[in-house]
Amino acid sequence: MTDIPMPERNNEGFLESAERWTPRVAEVIANEDGIDLSENHWEIIEFLRFFYKEHEVSPPSNRLFVKAVKERFGEEKGNSIYLMQLFPGTPAKTACRIAGLPRPTNCL
Amino acid sequence: MITFKTLHILNKPPDHRRYRLCLSAIGPEDGLLLTENGVLAVTQLSGIAAERCFALAPDLEARGLSSHISRDQTVSFDDMVDLTASAENVVSW
Amino acid sequence: MSTLIIIDQPPYGSWEGREALDMAFSLAAFDQPVSLLFCDAGVNWLRKGQDAAKLPQKSIERNLAAAPIFGVEALLADSNACDQYGLAKADLLDHTSITDFGPELIDCFNHVAFAG
Repeated sequence: MTDIPMPERNNEGFLESAERWTPRVAEVIANEDGIDLSENHWEIIEFLRFFYKEHEVSPPSNRLFVKAVKERFGEEKGNSIYLMQLFPGTPAKTACRIAGLPRPTNCL
Repeated sequence: MITFKTLHILNKPPDHRRYRLCLSAIGPEDGLLLTENGVLAVTQLSGIAAERCFALAPDLEARGLSSHISRDQTVSFDDMVDLTASAENVVSW
Repeated sequence: MSTLIIIDQPPYGSWEGREALDMAFSLAAFDQPVSLLFCDAGVNWLRKGQDAAKLPQKSIERNLAAAPIFGVEALLADSNACDQYGLAKADLLDHTSITDFGPELIDCFNHVAFAG
């Protein structure tokens, strides 16, 4: 699983450069958090990759992450319980880390 | 203390563009509170009624300007909170 | 309780505007009604076609385009400033409305705060 060359990461495990991300990298990072990536995970990860490409910024806080998901996929997925189940801890941080995005600026 | 429709909080010195913009925006029911470098206005401000114009004491004292304005017009941080809370609207210039 | 945040400084030169944008996003995160007004040199924030790739900063145009997604109610551009900087409606970021900055606009908000 970890036999791929991992791109450079900071002390919290976020990639130093979003361009170095690959789906394999996501799997390795998710594994560290004990997460097996399902289709539901990939849907959010791909959304975050697209969001970052469009806006050059990670959703700055957990609330704004939830809002952005809600705007894209509706209430059913754009709620903190759903996202917390997929990405435990602080969902915005966990999801951005797996998606290779910079750390959300306003998450503790 | 009277309450204002809009309280204008001005922290820019008299040569700043926003200082002039602020003075021109003050309506008849509005109040003006000078803070930070805005308190430099006490050396030259005219045309605004004393009961509608205040300056923050710590900022006046820091700049040696306390004697340039009447004691009734100087406010503490607590007064500033009261002024802000009692105004209908607040504009921070 | 509605808030209007006004940016009157040009993009890229300083950080105050970005801090103000962050403040707007934070208010929106807590579902507080917030709008952004760009006046004076600040209208240049709204100009389409910004490419900041060679600057050590992210594109303001792209950052700002996330505002409606996060729930910022309105992006407003002062009409005088648009004239001064040669910006017609078509030159401005999508979702921008042109307005006149003055007492009538200020009266529409409980809180009005300039950036920086």
